[in-house]
Amino acid sequence: MHNQGLQDAFIGLVDTNRGILYKICRMYGATEPDRQDLFQEIVIQLWRSYPAFRGDSKFSTWLYRIALNTAISDLRKQRRHITTINPDSLPTQLQDIQYNSEKEEQLQSLYAAISRLTEVEKALTMLYLEDKSYVEMEEILGIPQNNLRVKMNRIKEKLRKMTKEAVYGVGNT
Amino acid sequence: MELETLKSIWQEQDTPPVSATSREELLALLQKQSGGPIARMRRNLRKEVILMVVSYGFCILFYLLAFNGEMSGVAWLFVGLFAFFYVYYYRKNLLLKKMQCVSCEVRSNLAGQLKTLQKYLRFYFWSSTLIVPVSLFVTFEITIHNRTTPVSSWVWMASLLFALTGGLTVAVYFLNRWYIHKLYGRHIRKLEELLREMDEV
Repeated sequence: MHNQGLQDAFIGLVDTNRGILYKICRMYGATEPDRQDLFQEIVIQLWRSYPAFRGDSKFSTWLYRIALNTAISDLRKQRRHITTINPDSLPTQLQDIQYNSEKEEQLQSLYAAISRLTEVEKALTMLYLEDKSYVEMEEILGIPQNNLRVKMNRIKEKLRKMTKEAVYGVGNT
Repeated sequence: MELETLKSIWQEQDTPPVSATSREELLALLQKQSGGPIARMRRNLRKEVILMVVSYGFCILFYLLAFNGEMSGVAWLFVGLFAFFYVYYYRKNLLLKKMQCVSCEVRSNLAGQLKTLQKYLRFYFWSSTLIVPVSLFVTFEITIHNRTTPVSSWVWMASLLFALTGGLTVAVYFLNRWYIHKLYGRHIRKLEELLREMDEV
């Protein structure tokens, strides 16, 4: 049905934009299997819509729309996973927790803060962190720019506060 | 942390592939069916249509061919019901097709989804409620078809039919309301919440 060339071009585009898809899946999926499910669903939706993509909008706008639409409106129940942990492997002191680097630790607290946001706020945060302009945000989300600015200010404040709490502890703002 | 720091951490993060998906795995993914709620609803609808065509086709053929064609009137009743269900499934499929526009702006996709879902559920609710009296009358017609019964029995049977139809229709009305709310209530609430959040300033 779809020719080889179309498939190859599509796989190439997915590969190039894997980072965006990965970040969206990590934002919206609570567990690793949820993220994998979401990744699969986004790729399936992208593939289905790909033949209709005529380049009227930028490719990244089209990709963000499909990925965010899938992540936000895919209202399946997230899986509940019971993970068993060996008590011996648990750290006895807080200092025992080792992060690969300071950056990794900061990234973890950023994701932790993002996980406390609503689905719409997560979408806005994603676009903000990816340095998208308000014009592009409006094109992707369909929210008017003045409304976006107000929301974004609120989210920035929330993020600032939550990441501070994560670094310095709750209450030490 | 400062927002600019957050941005640079975000942009510099390593993004390992989700489950290290290879090219072959991606190609295999393209052959898979969507697991989304609307895709599942469409698959269920297709199964219902197949079941309906097989069962009604069998009934129509049976009443046309058996009894030396004397019961062909019943077959035509089934044809009527088949036509009703055909329109029913056609409309349902049309609404499901319109329900999702993943490449549209997120807000308009959600608004469209909510509007179409509500329309779909209204149609589903009224069709599945009204099919009860229709089916009962058809069943009654099939039962008494070609039978010579005295008028006194007719009055009694008609009263029984109306009482039964009324009672069952009311019961199905409430059952459907509960069932639709149970199946789609959470989904509709979630869509409404998302839209409210997007619109509020």
